[in-house]
Amino acid sequence: MTTTDINSIRPTPILLDCDPGHDDAIALVMAHRSKAIDLLGVTVTCGNAEPEKTVSNTLRILEFIGAQDVPVAAGCVRPLARPLVLGTADGPSGLEGSPYLPQATKKVEPMHAVDFIAKTLREQTEPLRIVATGPLCNLGLFVLKYPELLSKIKDITWMGGVFWRKSEYITPTEFNAFCDPEALKIVLDSGVPITMVGLDVTMKVLVEEAQYREFEKIDTELGRVVLDWLKFYEKLHRDSMGVGGALHDPLALALIIDPTLVKTRPAHIGVDLTGTYTFGATVADYWNERGLPPNAQVCEEVDSDRFFDLLYSLLRD
Amino acid sequence: MERIILDVDSAGDDILAVLFAAISPSMKLEGVTTCTGAAGPIDQVTNVVLNTLALAGKGDVPVAKGAWRPIVGNSKEDMQAPVHFEKRLVARFGDRLAKFNPPAPTPTLKVIDKHAVDFIIDTALANPGEITLVVTGPMTNAAMAFLQEPALAKALKRMVLLGGNFITPGNITPLSEYNIWADPEAARVVLNQGVDTILVPLDVCEDNRAAASMLTRDDLADLKDAGDHPVLQMLQDSFPIYIDIWREFFDLVGFPMDDIITVALAFDPTLCTMTEPLFCDIVLDGRVARGQTVAYRGRQLLPGGGPKTTRICTDIDGRRFMKLFKETIVRYQTATA
Repeated sequence: MTTTDINSIRPTPILLDCDPGHDDAIALVMAHRSKAIDLLGVTVTCGNAEPEKTVSNTLRILEFIGAQDVPVAAGCVRPLARPLVLGTADGPSGLEGSPYLPQATKKVEPMHAVDFIAKTLREQTEPLRIVATGPLCNLGLFVLKYPELLSKIKDITWMGGVFWRKSEYITPTEFNAFCDPEALKIVLDSGVPITMVGLDVTMKVLVEEAQYREFEKIDTELGRVVLDWLKFYEKLHRDSMGVGGALHDPLALALIIDPTLVKTRPAHIGVDLTGTYTFGATVADYWNERGLPPNAQVCEEVDSDRFFDLLYSLLRD
Repeated sequence: MERIILDVDSAGDDILAVLFAAISPSMKLEGVTTCTGAAGPIDQVTNVVLNTLALAGKGDVPVAKGAWRPIVGNSKEDMQAPVHFEKRLVARFGDRLAKFNPPAPTPTLKVIDKHAVDFIIDTALANPGEITLVVTGPMTNAAMAFLQEPALAKALKRMVLLGGNFITPGNITPLSEYNIWADPEAARVVLNQGVDTILVPLDVCEDNRAAASMLTRDDLADLKDAGDHPVLQMLQDSFPIYIDIWREFFDLVGFPMDDIITVALAFDPTLCTMTEPLFCDIVLDGRVARGQTVAYRGRQLLPGGGPKTTRICTDIDGRRFMKLFKETIVRYQTATA
């Protein structure tokens, strides 16, 4: 009988494309702390805040958690075909509630995010996994610019989209899709496998009383900062929907560590570009009426308790 | 001496535009960038440019390969329209059509190791206020360059863009012109940058009001005795079929010189009468109106608009243009003899 030593398994190398954002920030922390992940670089897009703020937030978070060695590349300052509409959940700075994060000494890479992604892919011998937690501006522009490198992307795990719209707190569109639907269409059409971690599952990983009690037990500087982020971050959810903060981006990141946290279903996904109230709506063709092969795996169910256990353990250890 | 970057999609008039720009004494062709468009996939477009420069003996002009697809584009069926059109042409012209947009043989020249978007950005940023970007195909590369490098808008001297239609009916839908329609989102990004821009619509090239600017068999006859340079031979050999197609299928008196007019305006804006600088925008939704070019003229009750930096050509001195074209193209003989 052989045993598998967890430390002998090669960590999964990933690129993280994000727009911090409180929940992006927690995803960054998880990616840095997980032994199962080798964070090769972070690319930044506009979205939850203006691009200069999301870049600054990224650098400050990495500085705070001691991840100065992780390269950061600044990317798109606007969606590909529309003016930028900012997200509202994270406050004016994109990371309200954390004034004590250090100013960054670290600088961004001297190249655009799409060129950094290309450089990183060329350096890899194996196809690379990408996690995206913001609007897909960078990845859309990457597909337009580097079609010859698409085969070097193993898959994209993206927080975005929504499919099951029966719940009163789920709108027809999800922000990351709504912010740059054209970029989403380009990525969906690219042939790169994509796992869509949409509101259907992310609105089930909510920080409520029970979760707060667990976070409060993590008596470290990092634990306290995360708790402060969560307390600011829940405001929009609490005020508009009467629920706690939903950990959208951390769930997407967690799927690299443990894909069994969700159940998925393959489908061809289209995105509406022209609707009056529905542009950015993601539409799954479960009946295959379009006659096209599936281009995505849609997350339909999530084991919330196991997700939170993973998150607590990453913050603790 | 105007310094230009020429961004093309390698239809017939793009070939003449490359030849014209490469030999004109009034401009320095900094490079040619390629974009998927009327001539088909990006490799065909790029190979046509490389072969054209080889024929011209201008192998020193850098060529950078660009966009392989539009930002959004249109349905696959609609994008195939030029292919179906070619089938109709075969039915009418038979073997003669072999000289119309033929598959490009493997070129001897090579592209540079840099994406078209980076070539545009790097050249413009290294020469602020010096570079005129001339786009004669869909505007995907230009849009990608503005999206990737916001400082590009300030660095460019000017843009001269072939696209749109205002009085003349569209050539892909009744309302829309092909270059804009092929990537309307890109055109919208480009026209909203606030860069000093000249827009060359169908009105001054693909309309018999601009008849004197079109290439006819008379013009080819004028050039017949100019010499035996391969470029001049190619003109005599390849362009009669282009002239015939546009006479037969578009009711034009000759082959319209859209792209060459666009290039010429980069150094001689007096060839065309133009509007005052105004805001020009693109219709994105809608079916038949997708890709329509909208000029903000007159006075309206509803607010709207954007940077008033685009001058739209409304008329052309066709005779002077054709004279300029012929004088320039014979330089392949005189300048090398």
